[in-house]
Amino acid sequence: MLRTAAQRALNGAFVSPKQLGVLVTRGAGDAKKPAQIEVFIDDKPVLVDPGTTVLQAAALVGVEIPRFCYHERLAVAGNCRMCLVEVEKSPKPVAACAMPVMKGWRIKTDSEMTKKAREGVMEFLLVNHPLDCPICDQGGECDLQDQSMAFGSDRSRFTDIDFSGKRAVEDKDIGPLIKTIMTRCIHCTRCIRFASEVAGIDDLGTTGRGADMQVGTYVEKFFLSELSGNVIDLCPVGALTSKPYAFTARPWEIRRTDSIDVLDAVGSNIVVCTRTGEVLRILPRTNEEVNEEWLSDKSRFAYDGLKRQRLVSPMVKVDGQLQPVDWETALIAIGKKIKSAGSDIGVIAGGMADAEALVALKDLINKLGSEDVCTENPFPVNGSGTDLRSSYLLNNTIASAEEADVVLLVGTNIRLEAPLLNARIRKGYVHNETEIGVIGPQVDLRYDYTHVGDDPCSIKDLENGNDTFAKCLKNAKKPLIIVGQDALNRPDGSGVLLAAQSLAALIQKNVQDPQWKVLNILHKVAGQVAALDVGYVPGYEKLKDNSKLKVIYLLGADEAIERSQFPSDCFIIYQGHHGDCGAAIADAVLPGAAYTEKQATYVNTEGRAQQTLVAVSPPGLAREDWKIIRALSEFVGQRLPYDNLDQIRCRLEEIAPHLTRYGNVESANYFSQALALALKESATVNKKPISVTQKSLEDFYMTDVISRASATMAKCVTAYKTQQCSKY
Amino acid sequence: MNYTGLSKLFSVFRIIKESGGLRASLYKLYRMDELKVGTLMGTDKYGNKYFENNRFFYGRNRWVEYAPYYRLEYDGSQVPAEWFGWLHYKTDFTPDNDPGRPKYKWMLDHTENLSGTPQQYVPYSTTTQKIDAWKPPCPK
Amino acid sequence: MASIILRSKISPSTVLKACSASLSTGAPSFAAETRDINKSICLKEAPLIKKEVGLMKREDIIQKQQHDEAMITIEKPSEVATFSGVPEEHIKGRRVRIFVPPKNAMQSGTDNIHQWSMQFDTRERWENPLMGWSSTGDPLSNVEVNFPNKDDAIAFCEKNGWAWFIDEKAPPKPMKPKSYGVNFSWNKRTRVSTK
Repeated sequence: MLRTAAQRALNGAFVSPKQLGVLVTRGAGDAKKPAQIEVFIDDKPVLVDPGTTVLQAAALVGVEIPRFCYHERLAVAGNCRMCLVEVEKSPKPVAACAMPVMKGWRIKTDSEMTKKAREGVMEFLLVNHPLDCPICDQGGECDLQDQSMAFGSDRSRFTDIDFSGKRAVEDKDIGPLIKTIMTRCIHCTRCIRFASEVAGIDDLGTTGRGADMQVGTYVEKFFLSELSGNVIDLCPVGALTSKPYAFTARPWEIRRTDSIDVLDAVGSNIVVCTRTGEVLRILPRTNEEVNEEWLSDKSRFAYDGLKRQRLVSPMVKVDGQLQPVDWETALIAIGKKIKSAGSDIGVIAGGMADAEALVALKDLINKLGSEDVCTENPFPVNGSGTDLRSSYLLNNTIASAEEADVVLLVGTNIRLEAPLLNARIRKGYVHNETEIGVIGPQVDLRYDYTHVGDDPCSIKDLENGNDTFAKCLKNAKKPLIIVGQDALNRPDGSGVLLAAQSLAALIQKNVQDPQWKVLNILHKVAGQVAALDVGYVPGYEKLKDNSKLKVIYLLGADEAIERSQFPSDCFIIYQGHHGDCGAAIADAVLPGAAYTEKQATYVNTEGRAQQTLVAVSPPGLAREDWKIIRALSEFVGQRLPYDNLDQIRCRLEEIAPHLTRYGNVESANYFSQALALALKESATVNKKPISVTQKSLEDFYMTDVISRASATMAKCVTAYKTQQCSKY
Repeated sequence: MNYTGLSKLFSVFRIIKESGGLRASLYKLYRMDELKVGTLMGTDKYGNKYFENNRFFYGRNRWVEYAPYYRLEYDGSQVPAEWFGWLHYKTDFTPDNDPGRPKYKWMLDHTENLSGTPQQYVPYSTTTQKIDAWKPPCPK
Repeated sequence: MASIILRSKISPSTVLKACSASLSTGAPSFAAETRDINKSICLKEAPLIKKEVGLMKREDIIQKQQHDEAMITIEKPSEVATFSGVPEEHIKGRRVRIFVPPKNAMQSGTDNIHQWSMQFDTRERWENPLMGWSSTGDPLSNVEVNFPNKDDAIAFCEKNGWAWFIDEKAPPKPMKPKSYGVNFSWNKRTRVSTK
């Protein structure tokens, strides 16, 4: 009631501004909230909102009710019955996950009846569960094991008097990432719900009923999704396990290191599991503000790329061929070249460069008298350029993307560029009825959207136009415009950015929430935001034209870099962890550390600084990147003034204080100033349709040096192609 | 004559004579640290000579004189398997008049211990490398 | 998630303070001893005199007694770094991470993640050339100590002279009531399609 009144008021129909103020403050207050109800969990009173389930109410007082099918982030299914609890004066136990609490209920989570109900459920589950824990990959981190220990009966009544055997189910082949042992399945349907709700793929489902029920894909089909790996985590038993990790290690012999993923710009929180100096698997780590508890398949499975194509020793070209040498030889040779080059030196930083290395290298190059520090990925530099952070950040944060009511995606296949951000938008689509519009190619985003147009002119049309989506966008309370890199990496990229800025400024006027920021830029690579923050110039166009250039320093720059782009006599130094395009054209190679091997700072696309931690040591002679640059500075004769991590982090703080405030988003503002500066230079857009580099799932798997070196990712690409040939 | 010890002197002369003269005897003494004579029981295919002289006590009454081309580089593993048994009193038959000794086509020739020579066996790891290093492309 | 707080290195002044503290704690026993001497003189018994006291002149003893009584004992945080026996190369340059262990994504249980833990940074591990086993030279690599709160963890690190930093735990998600009914709502996108 009140909401409709407020809405009417906000539309400005017949309420004076004074009343409006009153209404808004009341709306923001507690008047809207219905009264909380009191229930008792094991005689502990708790006040909860109406509609809260028994299980949630118990969680509030720290009582954990066992569950198999219930999952916080999925719809309630209520089919495993493990969460049965006794409610006083109720003749039967109730399923805690699905039952909303009523006023004054006394819930007993530890009574005789509850215990007996749990024992009964466990017994039924175990009747048809194979006793193959010793050869099961889930062993040691299996919910069924845990809960049968905690809540199951201490003896079995299962006697197979007819020797008919337990129920057995045929295994399904659902792709190169997930191994299925369907006999172990307890039909919790978590994987089905994940696929249809979060991933948006209705491929998984159940067939048959009773003892003949099976979870599968109906037809012989791969479960191909950019988020498919999460069903491994969700599966409470060992029915779905990781194929690359199969039979590799037990959870209790693994070392876990909390870290950050750098294979996309989302900066997902991960746990790197290592043993015997090898990365064995990567798991997501819950961070509500970034990745919830999901992880994209590339981040999860590309770890085997960390063991292939690695640079393990410094190399210098001898007789036209790169030869492994020791550090001293390499640094002396490179130092000489840099010294003789003087200020004719340029830097190209790649997408996986960390902030420490970026700062150290920029300091070194600046000391040499050069300002040519560029990033590999371009970004429009008209108007304020990258001086104002608001023009290159995903300003509104990833977490709030699920609250948006209208989202406009410009030139991005967001599903593949930032799978977890897409999962958030899909969450909003499912639960908040979000309207989504797309400018650019009509890619498969796993939800319905309005296709607004193919070319950037559509942004302008939205600003002036009056069609359904334009109206919807202009009336939105929480609109988002997400501009992808593919829209900005065009010749008219600055025009696209300007158009997006002015559209955002127009819509921003209707937004009530002062914290809500309409304009959002989505990056593709993890290192770009940090590089722009510390003052790198986006794009290396100016290095290509510079014929004076004598030395080029590639800091992990590998994408589409060619020797012919630079003067033929220039000396190319490559520093990075994988041998790819960059190392192949280099005259000297310095082996750096990959993201699992260094403690380094990364800033994700929303401007959140996070740090990776060392899980394994760099292979061979490889070293942490900033240390290499620090060592090189001695040989160049321009000593950098930091010797340890604390000192270089102090330097980071000097340049940009947010770089060391780990975990926090340093938000940006000055949208109007950025727009005003951009308007000073006339930037136009052309009619050429926007194209995206990652069109289908096939292009998702191998996008950077690590995933290109990964055999698992190559298998995924093959699987996708196989699937395309299949009749399903 | 026995009382004068002259017989000892004569036997020395005899041994020197049987060993092929003073020069050969000195070389033999230098090479083998002893000068013994005995019945030649046989010669193996590598040229090693096997002697027996029961005048010496058990344990020293059978010996091998390695072929001259070994010079000082002789060692126990140069005795082939068929002579090994006789040399170590496992049998009293020398290989050439041992009726029970089998002889098959597939039997390999004896090889001496090759440790310390270029032909020696060097163990190597059979596990795969954990890290696969990048190899720079060859210039065309 | 984390804010970094760096511990300052032990300065020479703290070492000096430690010396003076130990001197002042020795003072009362010294004074008591001289009192014992006086007492036994009254009783005409041979007193038990410690060698270092016995060799001192009487005026020296009185002077020292006065000096010791004028000393002030200063409370300072205990420092066990020098006595812990851990070789210096395993302490120097180490960074302890103080954090709340994350929930294992593979399990739904939440035991063992409600405490604060400390962990040392990973040092080099290598493959044993003979057997291929994984080796490390770091005796602290397996140290993981749990604390009820982060202040205890910080105090423990301080006491042991380790540099530390804190990974703050990520803010929890506000609870939203879940409903079984939305699976079947006829006009919402939450309607379940596959079963």
